[in-house]
Amino acid sequence: MFLLRWMWANLRNEVLVLPSRILALAWVVAVLLLPLAFPDAYVLRIATFACLFAIFAASWDLLAGYTGQVSFGHALFFGAGAYASALLSLRLGLSPWFTVWIGAAVATVFGAVVGFLCQRLRGAYLSLATLAFPLIALGLLFAFPDFSGGELGVSGLRRLAASATGNYYVAALSMLAIVFGLWLLADSKFGIVLHAIRDDEVAARASGINTPRYKLAVFALSAAAAGFAGALFAHYLRIAGPSTLEVALSFQVVIWGIFGGAATIYGPVAAVFILYPLTEWLGSYGAFGELRLLAFAVIVLLVLLFMPRGLAPWVRDKVESQCPRCKQRNRAWRSVCRLCNAPLRLGAA
Amino acid sequence: MLRTLLAAAAAAAIAGGAQAQTVKIAILGPMAFVQGENHWAGAEMARDEINKAGGINVGGKRVQIELIRADTNEIQSVPDATNAIERVITRDKVDFLVGGFRSEAVLAMQEVAADNKKLFLGAGAAHPQLGAKVEKDYNRFKYWFRVTPLHVGDLVKASFAVLGVAAAQFRQERKGATPKVAIIAEKAIWTEGIVKAAQANFPKMKLDLVGLWQPSAVATDVSAELAGIKRSGADLVFTVLSGPVGIVVGRQMGEQQLAAVAVGINVEAQKDEFWQATAGKAQFVSTLETVSEVEMTPKTVPFYNAFRARFKKGPTYNAAGAYDALHLLKEAIEKAGTTDTEKLIPVLEKTIFTGVGGVIEFDKRHDLIFGPGRVTGLAIQWQDGHKIPFWPAGVKGIKPFKLPAP
Repeated sequence: MFLLRWMWANLRNEVLVLPSRILALAWVVAVLLLPLAFPDAYVLRIATFACLFAIFAASWDLLAGYTGQVSFGHALFFGAGAYASALLSLRLGLSPWFTVWIGAAVATVFGAVVGFLCQRLRGAYLSLATLAFPLIALGLLFAFPDFSGGELGVSGLRRLAASATGNYYVAALSMLAIVFGLWLLADSKFGIVLHAIRDDEVAARASGINTPRYKLAVFALSAAAAGFAGALFAHYLRIAGPSTLEVALSFQVVIWGIFGGAATIYGPVAAVFILYPLTEWLGSYGAFGELRLLAFAVIVLLVLLFMPRGLAPWVRDKVESQCPRCKQRNRAWRSVCRLCNAPLRLGAA
Repeated sequence: MLRTLLAAAAAAAIAGGAQAQTVKIAILGPMAFVQGENHWAGAEMARDEINKAGGINVGGKRVQIELIRADTNEIQSVPDATNAIERVITRDKVDFLVGGFRSEAVLAMQEVAADNKKLFLGAGAAHPQLGAKVEKDYNRFKYWFRVTPLHVGDLVKASFAVLGVAAAQFRQERKGATPKVAIIAEKAIWTEGIVKAAQANFPKMKLDLVGLWQPSAVATDVSAELAGIKRSGADLVFTVLSGPVGIVVGRQMGEQQLAAVAVGINVEAQKDEFWQATAGKAQFVSTLETVSEVEMTPKTVPFYNAFRARFKKGPTYNAAGAYDALHLLKEAIEKAGTTDTEKLIPVLEKTIFTGVGGVIEFDKRHDLIFGPGRVTGLAIQWQDGHKIPFWPAGVKGIKPFKLPAP
């Protein structure tokens, strides 16, 4: 009873007070209840992929959005997780429930290595350097086809759950846990340090922050999340192939990140949940579907033209305002701050 | 008002009834690319022919074919391909699946077809692993049959046989001299096995292997490689090319006036536009093909001509595969008297069906049986701007292979 009252109090005072949080709650409820409303295997497949790519997009945002380490080769971590889990599961017969964690661990190592090698690089140089890593990984896969399956990849993997609904819930719960975890991390002191590194690394170092260590940590953390998504992806598709390392996937995640709004975590997640089903829906319309990439590009360009900070911050700014005194967020239509009673608009008192 | 409602209800009932009188077949392919375009074109031709002739006789009831066009976007995205196949199965409620091209994507699509126990007739992917899965886990993957192409292993056998023909002609024309053969294979994983097999088998075929050159699949200049081949004194160039480099090889061989003739696999040389793309320099370049204007079977030439008349260009193997797949399905359904997949599988396994590219019979992997009297593919040579079929021998319409003057 106490727990229920505590939960209700939190819900009323922390969540229902802001439209963005209400929206997030509605989205969580929708994600959890989706199989009840749409038990259709096709819808569940799209939603499962959306969940997996949402983890991937959020992981990119932690690295690129929060820390300013814009990676153009994020598919490396996705592919590393996919291949590591697939190979261990297939060659050693280990349970996929175990190997997905190893996939994430292998991706973490890859992240740390890439982070270490790119530590002295900034801006475009860093982005271009990261672009090279998945290409090197692809070259290695093709160089050892007996081990990696070559151009065809590793197929015949076991799924984590037998049914479409089961697989969906594996992806959805993983996504909710990881995205919420990343959001908490980004909202913590650790996240503030990442902001500082992105905005002025020299100033951050001058303040006593060990920036190389933080950058290395964020590379590893981001890679771990991407690798976990890759591992789940491989077991869901039952194949880990070179497409998990393709440049197109690396750029796709950049588009999701920029479209949704960088340095938000929830922005890229929202972008995936909008753009992925949208392109699929466009694809289902006969001849028009074949123009889906064009339609996709037009939509992304229009959003970036009118919402340069991305979709999620734009929506948030429309429905919420920030108190000039205590910096807390309020509903846009409030005239005084809900916490400090400071006027939110000129002339309001 | 009541009459209007009754009329509407009757119309709806008739429409519903009409819908039930169709067999729904999904055509899966990368529709924005030439492969998907050809899947669809071949399937449309077969559908129109079958429907015009009264449809399919399912246990005494005539039903029409309804095609569902599904863009798999598989060249760019594997998940998109699985989404497309899931959509046609669960949303469009198709009865059968035909198509596929990129092996990695088809492997993933094969899983979705197996999950849903839907018959999937492949018409594009060549990797042997697709058939190996049928052998390894028959109960799960028995729904997969490869109507075209031959798998890679058989394509290698065919290309060696064609090289043997060219070599024999060389010996005959050059008074028994041993032909010197150079290999030019694009630097890609799929060519590695073929190159190894060539290096192991050419000496056994009494061919003098003079070297291996491996340009990129997208190279825009191979003059250095061709200069090396020229210096090696090669008489025949065994090509293993699928990318745009095939055009560059054809054009620059002509420009450098190589005395050697290209024989083997050159996917670009299969296209009608090849001669123009090489600025007319690709004289005597040859490649394996699937369909041409020769009587591989009595159905080949009518299909080829009808396709050309309707689409103003020649068919690729994807078109022939999709066309054969639909006719094969029709025959199997009529034999079984049902559209029940489980009952159709044993019928297909025993079927010997005359298609446009050869006589289709499946082995235990549900792959095509390769060889004379079944499916061999064919080989064409570019001669004065025309694709001239020269292999296999003994087929009506086959013309002589030509070597340049010494």
